[in-house]
Amino acid sequence: MKFPRSLAIRIALPLVLATLPIASLVPVSAQASGSTVNVVGYSVVKTIFSKLETAFQATSAGSGVNFSNSFGASDTQTNNVANGQSADLVNLSYTPNIGQLVTAGKVPSDWASQEFSLGGVNVALTGSRQQTTYPTPGILTDSAVVFVVRAGNPLKIGTSWLNLVKPYTTTSGSGKTKVTTKHTYGIVTPNPTTSGSARWNLIAAYAGAIGAGDSSSKAQSYLKSLLTDTVAQPVSGSAALAAFLGGTGDVLLSYEDDALAAVAAGDAVQIIYPSKTILIENPVALTKTGLSNPAAKAFYSFLFSTAGQTILAQNGFRPVLKSVWKTAAGSFHSFGASAMPITTFDPSGWTVLNGQFFDPSSGIVSQLEQSIG
Amino acid sequence: MLDTVSPPPSSATQPPRKGWLLWPFQTLARRTSQGVAVTFYSLVVLIPLAALFSSAFTHGWGFFWKAATAKEALAAYRLTITCSLLAALTNAVAGLGTAWVLVRDTFRGKAILNALIDLPFALPTVVAGVTFYTLYGPKSPVHLTLTGTWTGITVAIVFVTLPFTVRSVQPVIETMTFNAEAAAATLGASPWRVFRTITLPTLLPAILTGTGLAFARAMGEYGSVVFVSNNLPFRTEVASSYIYSLASAGDPVGAAATAVTMLVMALVVLIAVSVASRRLVKGS
Repeated sequence: MKFPRSLAIRIALPLVLATLPIASLVPVSAQASGSTVNVVGYSVVKTIFSKLETAFQATSAGSGVNFSNSFGASDTQTNNVANGQSADLVNLSYTPNIGQLVTAGKVPSDWASQEFSLGGVNVALTGSRQQTTYPTPGILTDSAVVFVVRAGNPLKIGTSWLNLVKPYTTTSGSGKTKVTTKHTYGIVTPNPTTSGSARWNLIAAYAGAIGAGDSSSKAQSYLKSLLTDTVAQPVSGSAALAAFLGGTGDVLLSYEDDALAAVAAGDAVQIIYPSKTILIENPVALTKTGLSNPAAKAFYSFLFSTAGQTILAQNGFRPVLKSVWKTAAGSFHSFGASAMPITTFDPSGWTVLNGQFFDPSSGIVSQLEQSIG
Repeated sequence: MLDTVSPPPSSATQPPRKGWLLWPFQTLARRTSQGVAVTFYSLVVLIPLAALFSSAFTHGWGFFWKAATAKEALAAYRLTITCSLLAALTNAVAGLGTAWVLVRDTFRGKAILNALIDLPFALPTVVAGVTFYTLYGPKSPVHLTLTGTWTGITVAIVFVTLPFTVRSVQPVIETMTFNAEAAAATLGASPWRVFRTITLPTLLPAILTGTGLAFARAMGEYGSVVFVSNNLPFRTEVASSYIYSLASAGDPVGAAATAVTMLVMALVVLIAVSVASRRLVKGS
């Protein structure tokens, strides 16, 4: 059997060339490990973290610190970290995800109190941190579930959750040829299996119905109508916004911060603040490896500093630092005291809600989706 | 592959008169290459699949069955199989036509078209997804919104699996002689009858193979479909997307169980196609 030499070279050369980039990567990652902070976050904080990191690198504590970032749907990210993805600092969409990392042994169980032990670099946090009436330790930012509609609100979508599922009519022609057509609003919300944002949205919808005086069974049938009218369930909050901006649906259920970012970016959308909503609390924690990484600890402190919280506030996230909230409150919609019917989402509260609503076989949402499909 | 096309002279099994000293080495070389092939296939395909199977049964048969037959999984299988089947059949017809034109006709740009057939293989499927979203999404320039519909999913899969039938049928048409067809035509058979009784039976095994491959590939398509499906559980969520959501939401065993079910279905189709096309070849 003849094996032409030229053929051998043709096969071998690309193989050798292909290994070069891999080989060149190895020393880089090894050498930078000293002052690198691995940040793992949920999908919508990608942009804000690049701003926070740049600002941190400009401080004396942060000079020379490198960042390695990973952003995606909250449950996906949690699962990746639990399975060994490097992470010093995790910012996830809701507290149960941090709880899963505690169970997986990645985050210490007293993660929420890190804020008190580490936040004190720039400011005394204890007792002074919360903006209003819902103090929860370990929370980096607050937000709310809002409606995002097309610019100018052409379909005149109101502030009531219940009206989202009411059909609206359009008429075409006039006189005898007048035709009235019934429509439903196409709703876009992420997939609750992969997205924390989706869970906040559906709980807010349920709470909205309860807040409007519905019994729990009526609130469930409301939720069913809402899911029936849902036209897309992208994998993450960011993907849902992207689908909405791409023209899918009439109403997007979204984080207030993500919606504000879209408006600030000049996208042709506007925000409708529902009359009742939910207080969203996005937790942050240092992992066990992060606690032994001085740069990660310094960055954590920076996140809770006046400077860090101000950057968050300027980008649509409700700051948790009372002093920053005082100056920033004016630029946020005021929901009023009774607007957030369900507010305390301590981890055990979410454990109950997750079982009740999102259990794959017995959860309310799962069963409703099944009955629709 | 080469062996089936032109069996090499059996110099490896029968020692040639000259150079008989080399014979043991040639045998060794042959055995070694067989060993390398099997090892490579095992490392790349068999071992990961074995790991998947063992992972799927981590919590026992009961858990596997529950995960594999979850209502959301069943809805996803139904959607995936229906769309894959429609796409594979579409490509069986369209692919046959394309291959026919590429071999039997001469026209300007034929070489370019021939090269472009493989484009869906070369393109990342996500690119196909973005392209479809732009063309058939809510802001469709041709006012045709297919996103969130079974039709849209099927169209995306048709694009991704187009080369299979073309590339399996094309070489068979190339080696076909005109003689039988010409004789039939001379004897007064209509073109349709010539096609039905002579051309099609010759091509059928190749069409079956291409369609089977396309179907199996379609069952697993993710990148392009995830853009156009809108991902509604029980309604437009394809199996691969359902598996992804399970895997990324911390249910690796459920994901593996669903994946194994898909794998077995694809395998059954491939084996059935292989058996059917062998029978056809023997029959003719």
